[in-house]
Amino acid sequence: MKLARGPVIAVAVIAGLALAAPLLGLPDPIRMDVAHRMAQPSWQHPLGLDEFGRDELSRIVWGARASLAVAFAASLIAGLVGTSIGVVGGFLRGIVELTLLRAVDVVLCFPPLLLALLVVTVLGPGAGTLILVLSVLYVPGFARVAYAGTLSVRAQDYVEAMRALGATRPRIMLRTILPNIIGPVLVQLSLAAAAAIVLESGLSFLGLGVVPPTPSWGLAIGAARATMDQAPLLLLWPCLALTATILAMNALCDALRDALEPHAAPRTTGQRLRDLLTPGRAVPSGDRLLELRGLTVAIETPQGTVRPVREVSLTVAEGETLAIVGESGSGKTLTGLALLGLLPEAARVLTGSARFDGADLLRLGETSWRGLRGDALAMVFQDPMSSLNPLHRVGAQIAEAITSHNNVSAAEAAARAVALLREVGIPDPARRARAFPHEMSGGMRQRVMIAMAIANGPRLVVADEPTASLDVTIQAQVLDLLAELKQQSGLALIFISHSLPVVAEIADRVAVMYAGEIVEEGPVDAVFGAPLHPYTAGLIASAPSEDGKPPQAIGGTVPSPEIVLPGCRFAPRCSRRIDRCESEPAAMVEVTPGRRSRCLRWAEL
Amino acid sequence: MIWFLRRLAISVGLVWVVATIVFMAIHLVPGDPAELLLSQGGVAPDPAAVAELRTQLGLDRPILTQYADSMTRLLRGDLGRSLQDDTSVAQEIGRRLPRTLELIGAAMLLAIGLGVPSGAAAAMRRGGLWDRLATGLSGVLLSVPVFVLGTVMVFIFAQRLHWVPAGGYVAFTQSPGLHLLLLSMPAAAIGVGLAAVVFRMSRTAVLDVAGRDFVRTARAKGVAPGRIMRHHVLRNALLPVVTIVALHLGSLLGGTVLVEYVFNWPGLSGLLVSAVVARDYPEVVGVVFTISVLFVALNLLVDVLYAVLDPRVRYG
Repeated sequence: MKLARGPVIAVAVIAGLALAAPLLGLPDPIRMDVAHRMAQPSWQHPLGLDEFGRDELSRIVWGARASLAVAFAASLIAGLVGTSIGVVGGFLRGIVELTLLRAVDVVLCFPPLLLALLVVTVLGPGAGTLILVLSVLYVPGFARVAYAGTLSVRAQDYVEAMRALGATRPRIMLRTILPNIIGPVLVQLSLAAAAAIVLESGLSFLGLGVVPPTPSWGLAIGAARATMDQAPLLLLWPCLALTATILAMNALCDALRDALEPHAAPRTTGQRLRDLLTPGRAVPSGDRLLELRGLTVAIETPQGTVRPVREVSLTVAEGETLAIVGESGSGKTLTGLALLGLLPEAARVLTGSARFDGADLLRLGETSWRGLRGDALAMVFQDPMSSLNPLHRVGAQIAEAITSHNNVSAAEAAARAVALLREVGIPDPARRARAFPHEMSGGMRQRVMIAMAIANGPRLVVADEPTASLDVTIQAQVLDLLAELKQQSGLALIFISHSLPVVAEIADRVAVMYAGEIVEEGPVDAVFGAPLHPYTAGLIASAPSEDGKPPQAIGGTVPSPEIVLPGCRFAPRCSRRIDRCESEPAAMVEVTPGRRSRCLRWAEL
Repeated sequence: MIWFLRRLAISVGLVWVVATIVFMAIHLVPGDPAELLLSQGGVAPDPAAVAELRTQLGLDRPILTQYADSMTRLLRGDLGRSLQDDTSVAQEIGRRLPRTLELIGAAMLLAIGLGVPSGAAAAMRRGGLWDRLATGLSGVLLSVPVFVLGTVMVFIFAQRLHWVPAGGYVAFTQSPGLHLLLLSMPAAAIGVGLAAVVFRMSRTAVLDVAGRDFVRTARAKGVAPGRIMRHHVLRNALLPVVTIVALHLGSLLGGTVLVEYVFNWPGLSGLLVSAVVARDYPEVVGVVFTISVLFVALNLLVDVLYAVLDPRVRYG
């Protein structure tokens, strides 16, 4: 746990001053010198005298004592009571849980200051009343935090183990659960103390908190209001002291939270460094719709630049289905996103060109992109639930794709959206268009996503694992739909998947990706029938087969992108490696036209 | 609709809980409540006065009778009579409540009007000058208690610059300009602090939503950036902003009490503070009850707003 030092020091200094107030040799904060009331600052009285001729500096320092004593006492009491309630309630559950936590929540029915005023009316003002009422106010916060923590900890295996070993319940709560939830409780403690300082000073300001002549910042601000014309500094000092203390406390809260709940590494700004792109080579375009050459994607991490996609080259002909297969982390999704200029913020295209319809996709400006995306080039994403906006009706979301590219009326777009829903096989499309995404099944939602993608008659659709989140039967329906749409409109499809049976069913050609590189490419029957790369062979062996042979997993895991190997990236997991594989980079070899492999030993396979 | 009725029933239940606690407050303390209310700094009060107060508050009857009686009176909108001048508490509250509501409304408008656009702007240019400036400023504003900010505002704008009167109230019908001028100061004192909260939440929410899948979908559809911001990002980002405003309603109402006092705004809090000082129990109970009911009502309003913004809640 790394705690930022600044706020800790600041709070320690303030608390230290408050504790050491009697030792600092300051003038008596209560002794009046009415003759010199509101005297200007002098050597003797660095901050001057207040409206009763009392030393202001001394009153500010002693005021910290009053404020912090009340705040810390109240938050400690609230912390002890609230945490006990939360832990006991969360651990014992049942009726105890219900009564304890509900009873505590009653406090939350009131605005805090109002409840405090009610109690002050009954008990009369004073530090004791303040501590009592502030502790009551902050009990629910602690109870809730401790309760939530206990619930998550009690389900852990080591708690179960303690129980199995016969540990008593108080022992489990004190020795096992408490240490595990102490972090959030500490954060809550600092929050409560900061809030208590604010509330205490507010009540004292109203004259209903600390009782005069005890020094208090709130009282001092209230008093200085009357004399701010003659002595504005008397208003300034307590305001500064109070604000600085709260600022320090708030900074401490933030620091504690940051230390206990580390945030993800700061992301780099979204600036695309296009000047890093190599000039695109002139690429011949016959019936080739898309020609991707040497795509490398880079991600900046705190550890340095990694390249999850390296030198990927692909072609897609008009009306063709190309499948990209590979395990998670092979770079297939990033390749698809790069093609649509939708890379996540931290990632950028380092090199490469993508010739599509006469333009280089990788060098388009955001404005040209907008004209193309959703029009000639569309994408279907993996998870239709998160990919649809939860707050808009699905019909409107499809219509938006239409109005973004065509100058049509809203009614016309809505009508076309209904027609599209019918086209993707949604029954009762007029009614379904008015549904929200959460009212539909996963298969329906993916059909909506497909309707959105084909809304403007695209020539190429990139589908990123469009069936991965669906049941097997629904998967088959969605695949049939894609095949059907392809036949009707002649669009080309890049189908990204990790599932070989699915790929075998839908693709014309397949490119196998491993650790950011394409390792083999060719017509789907040829690649699956006679793989020319050990990784493809491994993938096929690991898929469930129809002849009942047990699947054979490939040993090891995909190397993470930051690891740089001198030789073939698959060599460490390869059963057929020879020494040369580990020392010499494997180049892509064109075995026969349209059939490529990145294995040194392809001829022996 | 069923959702709303259920939510309404919960609110009514909460009001009942609030009423019961307010009733119990005085009975929870050990000792004779009347004696407690009259005791001042350890001096034993005059027994005759105690007896009179007991009759006046009806404390001499059995506690259940008192409870039933106070609940039926609440249902009729009767909050009792002030101990100070025997006026009807409900009438006085009715006269002052609209002014407090106006102040809260103005402060909320200001907080949302300042906080949401500045938060969205900071998120769009993250790490830029405006982002760093506004984030720093919001950190400071969050640490200034409302009454400090209010007092300093009085000092600067009224005492030194003489732009506005130091406080007070003029009816809108009497002088609309002056009314709004007088309203602007307390509304700003409450609104600025709340704006800092809204700013932070808006910034975080916009950053979070901008990275979601459906925003990528919108980009994949070729939707214009301005429309993505308005229709997809902001709409979704408003949900956590509404939640955070709801969480701060309590401190907003508390801040209103303090700020009304600072600016001499004759809302509920002036009544409350003087009643607490005089330990005028019926009046304190009346005001605390009213503001707590307002608190419950505002929470209900926020939940309804949430349901309007998020269709998933309506069916959930």
